[in-house]
Amino acid sequence: MIAVIRRRAGRWALNGAAGVALAYILLPLIFVVWLAFFRQEIPSFPPEGYSLRWFAAILDQRKFVDGFSLSFRIGVLATAIGLALGVPAALCLVRYNFTLRGPLANLLLLPVVVPGVVLGTAMYVFQVEVENGLDVDVLGTFYALVAGHVVIVIPWVVRLVTASLAGVDRAIEEAAQNLGANAWVTFWRITLPSIRPGIVAGALFGFVTSFGNLEMSLFLVGPGRTTLPIVILQYLEWKIDPTIAAVSVIQILLIGGAMLVTDRYVKLARVV
Amino acid sequence: MSDIAVATGPVVEKRRGEGLTATALLAPATIFVAICLLAPLAFLFRYSLNDFVATKKMMVEAVTIANYVKFFTDPYYTTILATTVRIAVMVTAACLLLGFPLAYVMARTQSRFKNVLIILTVLPLFVGNAVRSAGWMVVFGNKGFFNASLQGLGLIEKPIEIMYTEKAVIIGIIAVNLPFMVLTLQSVIEGIDRAVEEAAFSLGASPATMFRRVLWPLAMPGILAGTILCFILAMNAYATPFLLGGPLFKMMAPLVYNQFTQQANWPFGGAIAFILMTVTLGLTLVANLIFQRRRAS
Repeated sequence: MIAVIRRRAGRWALNGAAGVALAYILLPLIFVVWLAFFRQEIPSFPPEGYSLRWFAAILDQRKFVDGFSLSFRIGVLATAIGLALGVPAALCLVRYNFTLRGPLANLLLLPVVVPGVVLGTAMYVFQVEVENGLDVDVLGTFYALVAGHVVIVIPWVVRLVTASLAGVDRAIEEAAQNLGANAWVTFWRITLPSIRPGIVAGALFGFVTSFGNLEMSLFLVGPGRTTLPIVILQYLEWKIDPTIAAVSVIQILLIGGAMLVTDRYVKLARVV
Repeated sequence: MSDIAVATGPVVEKRRGEGLTATALLAPATIFVAICLLAPLAFLFRYSLNDFVATKKMMVEAVTIANYVKFFTDPYYTTILATTVRIAVMVTAACLLLGFPLAYVMARTQSRFKNVLIILTVLPLFVGNAVRSAGWMVVFGNKGFFNASLQGLGLIEKPIEIMYTEKAVIIGIIAVNLPFMVLTLQSVIEGIDRAVEEAAFSLGASPATMFRRVLWPLAMPGILAGTILCFILAMNAYATPFLLGGPLFKMMAPLVYNQFTQQANWPFGGAIAFILMTVTLGLTLVANLIFQRRRAS
């Protein structure tokens, strides 16, 4: 009897501790969302009332709209290029055995380990060198930003596609080839459909990483060309108000939606 | 003899074809990362050996370790490094303590809300550090939720200063890193057979004993991986110290940015970037070695 009570108490304590940790993780997001609906501009408690007008106010501020649009375009393009480079690379790393496989796999995963600030400074210096060497505009251009973002998208694509390739039964591919399908047909009809979850997850994680990147982009953006996270950072340096909270709410909704879509294709529990 | 030649001929050819295919698949990504990551890192290192003329704000080509010497001999900079390491250690310890119960519950739950739990943990990761810092600003400001609540209850007269202190930075970075710790631990705990725990209980072990003798040792690879990841992230934190620490609070990553953009001192900025990376990786390696020696003995 006492043992049962003790065990039950232990269970409650465990769940309680887990709840505290989850609340800790979510607390900042909850307060940002709350602030977005305040009526008054100053974030003081208790709120004087609630209003939706801050969401309309976002559209009056060009920098948020422009920042969102730039981040979105960079994210989409960087993800597309990252997939084009990363999926074949993952295929090669899983299917072929060669001496440099380990080091090359590590090289492709390296960008997630290198600190964002170091990544940013290194690319900045490099782009200045290229600009001086070739006499073309590089630094601060759209394509230089995209190139930087492709570097941080590739590790996600390689990691998630590699993981899903490992679960593909090679016998089915061999069966297709025995029945007369050539390498291309086998890839399009057999391999690609079976690794689609990995590709979808890699694309979404890559996009979200690119969309939210702050440290590296800080060094690569040019005048009049600022990504959304940087606009948010610069705004917060001066003040915190419901407008910036409303911008954050939209970002949270967008990313939450992306996660839910990913979850339908591939259980998040298995990829993160 | 000729039979063997005939037999091996096509196989060799197929191998060569395979090699070509493998190269064609892997080369584009490898070359891209080499150009956009390795070459820049090499250039940054070369820059860190250059000279800087402060009066003209100009970089002068040289091969000198003066920038590194300057960092380690000036207490202003070594204090910033020490603060960064101290905060990273505290944050990592707090994340392990807070993260383990959540990771365990997430790994063991049979509930259909398991996916919701995971999405709730992953979502903040992708929302961005600036937005999460904004949340803490709402909580900790002078008229923020924390102070307003305490004043409303009559517990304090004047608001407690939390914003723009080390406390705010530590609280903020813990929240940023906690999901990484939880997800790493969760995946490892999921791989530990439930039956092992049950066996310990049926042999009369208390939950504390089971945890210490069974769960903790078996979860060690995950604890190590999570701790290292958390430590690296805390060492390199940028947005959180920048926004929650205020202009006077200094950590390494904001210092690198400051040297590059405000001071235009690229050689010194590059040197600090490499010191940050080396110290982080070095401490990680030491932790790894200690762990492996413990395991071996």
